Amino acid sequence: MVHTSHDAVARSFTESWGRLVAGLIAWCGDWDLAEECAAEAFAAAVPAWETTGVPDSPLAWLTTVARNRARDRLRRRTTEDAKLALASAGATDQVAPADDADIPDERLRLIFTCCHPALPMPARVALTLRTLCGLTPAEIGRAFLVTEPTMEKRLVRARAKVKNAGIPYRVPPPELWPERVEGVLGVLYLMFNEGYAASSGESLLRVDVSTEAIRLTRSLVDLLPTEPEVRGLLALLLLTDARRPARVRDGRVVPLAEQDRSRWDRGLVLEGTRLLDDDPPWGPYAVQARIALCHDVAARPDGTDWAAIADLYSLLPATPVIELNRAVALSMAHGPEAALPLVESLAGDLAGYYLYAATRADLCARLGRTDEAVAALETAIAQAPTGAERRLLRERRDALLAR
Amino acid sequence: MKYLMIHALDEDATPRTGSNGEPLELAAWIEEMEARGVVLDGARLHPVSDATSVRAPNGTVVVTDGPFAETKEQVAGYDVIDCPDLDSAIAVAAAHPTTGAGSIELRPFDEGMPDPEVPESVPDGKRRYLMLVCADMRRAMAAELDATEVHADSVPERSSADDEEEDEPIDRWIADAGARRLYGWPLAFPDTAVTVRRVDGEVVTTDGPFAETKEQIAGYDLLECTDLDDALEVASSHPVAATGVIELRPLRL
Repeated sequence: MVHTSHDAVARSFTESWGRLVAGLIAWCGDWDLAEECAAEAFAAAVPAWETTGVPDSPLAWLTTVARNRARDRLRRRTTEDAKLALASAGATDQVAPADDADIPDERLRLIFTCCHPALPMPARVALTLRTLCGLTPAEIGRAFLVTEPTMEKRLVRARAKVKNAGIPYRVPPPELWPERVEGVLGVLYLMFNEGYAASSGESLLRVDVSTEAIRLTRSLVDLLPTEPEVRGLLALLLLTDARRPARVRDGRVVPLAEQDRSRWDRGLVLEGTRLLDDDPPWGPYAVQARIALCHDVAARPDGTDWAAIADLYSLLPATPVIELNRAVALSMAHGPEAALPLVESLAGDLAGYYLYAATRADLCARLGRTDEAVAALETAIAQAPTGAERRLLRERRDALLAR
Repeated sequence: MKYLMIHALDEDATPRTGSNGEPLELAAWIEEMEARGVVLDGARLHPVSDATSVRAPNGTVVVTDGPFAETKEQVAGYDVIDCPDLDSAIAVAAAHPTTGAGSIELRPFDEGMPDPEVPESVPDGKRRYLMLVCADMRRAMAAELDATEVHADSVPERSSADDEEEDEPIDRWIADAGARRLYGWPLAFPDTAVTVRRVDGEVVTTDGPFAETKEQIAGYDLLECTDLDDALEVASSHPVAATGVIELRPLRL
């Protein structure tokens, strides 16, 4: 029985933490208080639900408990701020709604506030994971390779800025919509990528953070149904995540061409595909989703429609990294000699980027210029950010030398 | 003459002179200077981690976290003072406890600044922000120098400030900001700046701003807005946002 209650609370935590906290912040205006009382409500749920069973409206149950805790805490405080908060929290609503359906979903306000451009990017990511997903500072710290106190400090500073600088708790008005929605999507995309491929260190997959990014993006699709790029981003995340089961084997990254494609998650590919609009114009996330889809639908590596991929890359803003990817697609569609001039034109911009050196190595190797290929691989090995990627590059170099 | 005192402190450093009664010193300074009618306005600011900057090149608003320039010492507060001349302004600055911990930059305002009238209390639901208008003033200074050489006989005091046409962009901006702007005024060029510090108890006065930065503070406005987005709307439509950068700092009230 204990297990059932535990599981029910854990499930509720995943489903309801963000909504509970967002609603509490809207109710009392105090972020710290909202989080503390939300955590207490979940702690109280474990023994309570064990005796009474899981309530019909878990969110309403949790909201009532959290609001009562918040009122108790505010009454014990004697500051002017607390008195004001208590007055507004008591006045607006004495009794919490009894049914989950009656509780407005305030998460959209919360996510726009957490992803406000006035906050530094790492703080936006940390605040989103803490406040909307309920990850602890220790968990977020682990995901981003910083200590718990460092992450705690980052969160404290971020909340202080929200308060001191007066970052509004609201869904922005239409004229700010394009900029701010893009900002939110940028945070979710970064979160997914950080989780998907750690930027340094030995461990490559950080399942939790990318799963949270997908979960949040799913919610955002429901909350912003008219924004095509929100669907585009969710499609991109799903179509990329579909390859996760085949991406790492025995602690080593498996390149796309060598992955066991039977392990790819067909369900995710199907779901991602359904999210895409048939007709252009497509935003950058939708274009990247289509590129991921080109890979996902190829039964074998040599069945990949590289010409289509190269065309899709030309729809994206021509940054050096995008151009490098386009060059790779061109080389696959039309041969290495077709791509080498484009790659070499990027030498200045991408001098420190290991995938530049790795790409040049690959093209040189395919053209039979082995010495150049080995030299480029040495550069790439020195620049690669994770051990898994270094191992892969060393194997390639050794294979070339053995020829 | 009216001067802006810019308090610049290294937020991570401990004060250079750890004299035990610094809060008292500050209270005494305020009491004395207000009694003498020297201080017309002033406030402390929230730390630089609460700063937000905005640019609007080609009309695209770009909001970023942080101050207009990364400097060792950061703007921590300001005072508007009225003194007969620079020497008395330096004496007023030297008496302020900030000189024991950091620096005070003194910058004359452009002529014609009315006395600022800032209500003591902030209305419910409003917050105050200091809006620092920053631009690369070397270009403006060079342009003025050229103008001076060409028209040596009939030099205008200051090319921009004197043209008070009705439809100047700045006038339109002031009209649009409305009650959200309490007051504001341009500063004289950065080459008029003097920085006051105390080294081993001695007052040291140096020429120039408190930090060498690409863009310099060219003026400021005091805003009273509902929240940061409201203040950002005002700041991003300032004419200087197109070429320079505007920093918003919440006041510590």
